Amino acid sequence: MKKVIEVEKLTKRYGNVTAVNGISFDVFHGEIFSLVGPNGAGKTTTVEILECLRKPTSGTAKVFGFDVVREERKIKRRIGVMPQEFNTFDRLTVRENVELVAKIYGVKAGLKQTLESLGLWGLRDKKYEALSGGMKRRVGIAMALVSKPELLFLDEPTTGLDPQARRELWETIKSLKKMGVTIFLTTHYMEEVEALSDRASIIVKGRLLSTGTVDELVSKYGGEMKIVVKGDKRAREILKKFTKNVSVDESGSFVGTFQSREVVARALLPLYRSSKKYKINVVEPSMEDVFLRVAGGKIDERGELIS
Amino acid sequence: MKNSSVVFAALRKNWFRSKTGVFFSFLFPVMLLLIFGTVFGSGRSQTYTLHVQNLDLVGGEPTELSNTLIKIMNSTGSFEIKNLAADVDITDYIAEHPSFTNYRVLVIPENFQQKAVNKSIYVRTGVILDTLSFVIENYGYTMTENQIGSIENGKNMLEAWRKNISAENAEILLLTDEGDTAAPIVRGIIYSVINTFNNKMIGAEAVVDVSENQLTQRSYKAVDYYLPGYIAAFIMTNGIIGVTSNTSEFRRNGVIKRLTATPLQKSSWIMGNLVHQVLLAFMLMLVMIALGWVIFGVQVIPSPYALALIFMGALVFCSIGMVLGGVLKDVEAATAAGNAIAFPMMFLSGAFWPVEMMPGFMQGVAKCMPLYYFHDGLRQTMIYQNPAQALVPFVILGVLAVVFVYLAIKVTKWKEL
Repeated sequence: MKKVIEVEKLTKRYGNVTAVNGISFDVFHGEIFSLVGPNGAGKTTTVEILECLRKPTSGTAKVFGFDVVREERKIKRRIGVMPQEFNTFDRLTVRENVELVAKIYGVKAGLKQTLESLGLWGLRDKKYEALSGGMKRRVGIAMALVSKPELLFLDEPTTGLDPQARRELWETIKSLKKMGVTIFLTTHYMEEVEALSDRASIIVKGRLLSTGTVDELVSKYGGEMKIVVKGDKRAREILKKFTKNVSVDESGSFVGTFQSREVVARALLPLYRSSKKYKINVVEPSMEDVFLRVAGGKIDERGELIS
Repeated sequence: MKNSSVVFAALRKNWFRSKTGVFFSFLFPVMLLLIFGTVFGSGRSQTYTLHVQNLDLVGGEPTELSNTLIKIMNSTGSFEIKNLAADVDITDYIAEHPSFTNYRVLVIPENFQQKAVNKSIYVRTGVILDTLSFVIENYGYTMTENQIGSIENGKNMLEAWRKNISAENAEILLLTDEGDTAAPIVRGIIYSVINTFNNKMIGAEAVVDVSENQLTQRSYKAVDYYLPGYIAAFIMTNGIIGVTSNTSEFRRNGVIKRLTATPLQKSSWIMGNLVHQVLLAFMLMLVMIALGWVIFGVQVIPSPYALALIFMGALVFCSIGMVLGGVLKDVEAATAAGNAIAFPMMFLSGAFWPVEMMPGFMQGVAKCMPLYYFHDGLRQTMIYQNPAQALVPFVILGVLAVVFVYLAIKVTKWKEL
């Protein structure tokens, strides 16, 4: 597969602080690649080096085979960027803001189509400052897309959005992938990685801890499956028959942990057949478990690492 | 550079839709020009209210002399005279009317005419006696004994008669309020009137006359001074306060980062800002000139020199703003710094009043400020039509424009934001 981004031993220091510490990864044409990590992990620094907004201290980064330091202009023409905490001219309308970028790139056609595809055509004459948070992000994406980039950088595109707006934006991002745009995404939401990414890298304290497809990462680091049963002693006995590892969670439910899907399937049968009508949940391992295993902690809603 | 027009268009639209921006850049200067122009610059001389209480009555009617005094006061054109009835007690009147502040009350006392006439006769006869003594002393040798005897005789008779005339001065009383800033002016005018009055009463003729003539062909009004001062001052504040805080704000809120991620070049961004400020400067000039013409009747047609000076002034102050906004990261700090530089400069540079009105060392301070050369040059080129006098301002603003545009390019960050 064609490599769109090649990063080799990339390091960025600010004074004594090492923000990015010798990371290497590739991004392939047509995929959604996520850089996952808590706040301060070095996600934005990495993205901004790739966008030619910062210079690496050492190591190399290439986009479309061009060096980010020496061939900035060739790269900038072909990428679209939505910076973190994106903002633009408050008192220009949606259309004026998007047109501004189009003019800078010298792009004439496609404005209407870009706005329509993002559901912004109806809001085109509204001032940016009058939009909701979710709509503002869409304007950001429109501004990143209007130049018809081959590669799109989205730096924490859904941070601070409500769940509804976040899900709507995910659908937009998925549709962009279908249009053939390669997408580089940073996020601290594990569900976002699962919902969108083909491949992901986990970054903590400037170091890449693991890279792979989401499935690979989950099967490698996600660990066990769980059956959670809200029920009586009898339920616990059934679980005990299939696994030694049964615990009680904070809500008082019994949690059985299993190594194989096979055993899970067998254990479910008697639980469902029981006359007690237990409330049963099967929990598959997720990126959250992967992150817990790899980074030794969780990330909270605000993006902070909790060890 | 080709994209500077795109930047300019965005800045222009964003700015014109900002109510505060438009207020401080246009309406505020307009308001100040209207206020200052009306207070100081109407061209018509100031009048002061003067209350007069005439107690010099005969049979209920004011005496002729007291009436004449009031008429003379009136004819100066400096007073709006209001009469207080003779039976009013002024102390009570002031106590009963708390709103009666900044009062000036001129009281003409009883027997004013009587005393004034007596005193004038006393003085006149004194002069006659002195003159006769003088003549005898110096020219007595040309006279016969008989003549001298007659004169001495007349002198003695006049002297004896004069003893019956009162030498008491007629006094008028001026009451002023402690806090009245105009009181010294009012006092000065009254003294001068009384002086003239005294001279007339004793029959003295003027020895020295003052005639007034203006040196220049056209007479200038105060508004002629303010107008270029205001245009210059507000082009300065638009740059040093407006551009500083906008630049800093665009950097904080991410607008600049959004632009840096496009192929837009730094030079286009700076150029767009400069063009925007130059446009604002010309618009401000037009608004102020129109206002000066419609309200104050000042007809100004800016010469190409004046336009060139405005162009350079806008470059200087816009680039100073971009330097400050580029250096100071914090928006509040940048805005505070802009105010801290702009306001002293506005008041100390003589944009609002002639520097000659300020103490000597302050005049030195004024001449260290770019705004001084800006408004001075504008006045020379716009009002006095005297571009040769604007040579120094041209050179100074030109050098400053080059220096600060260079610094703006240096300190504006387009990477590592």
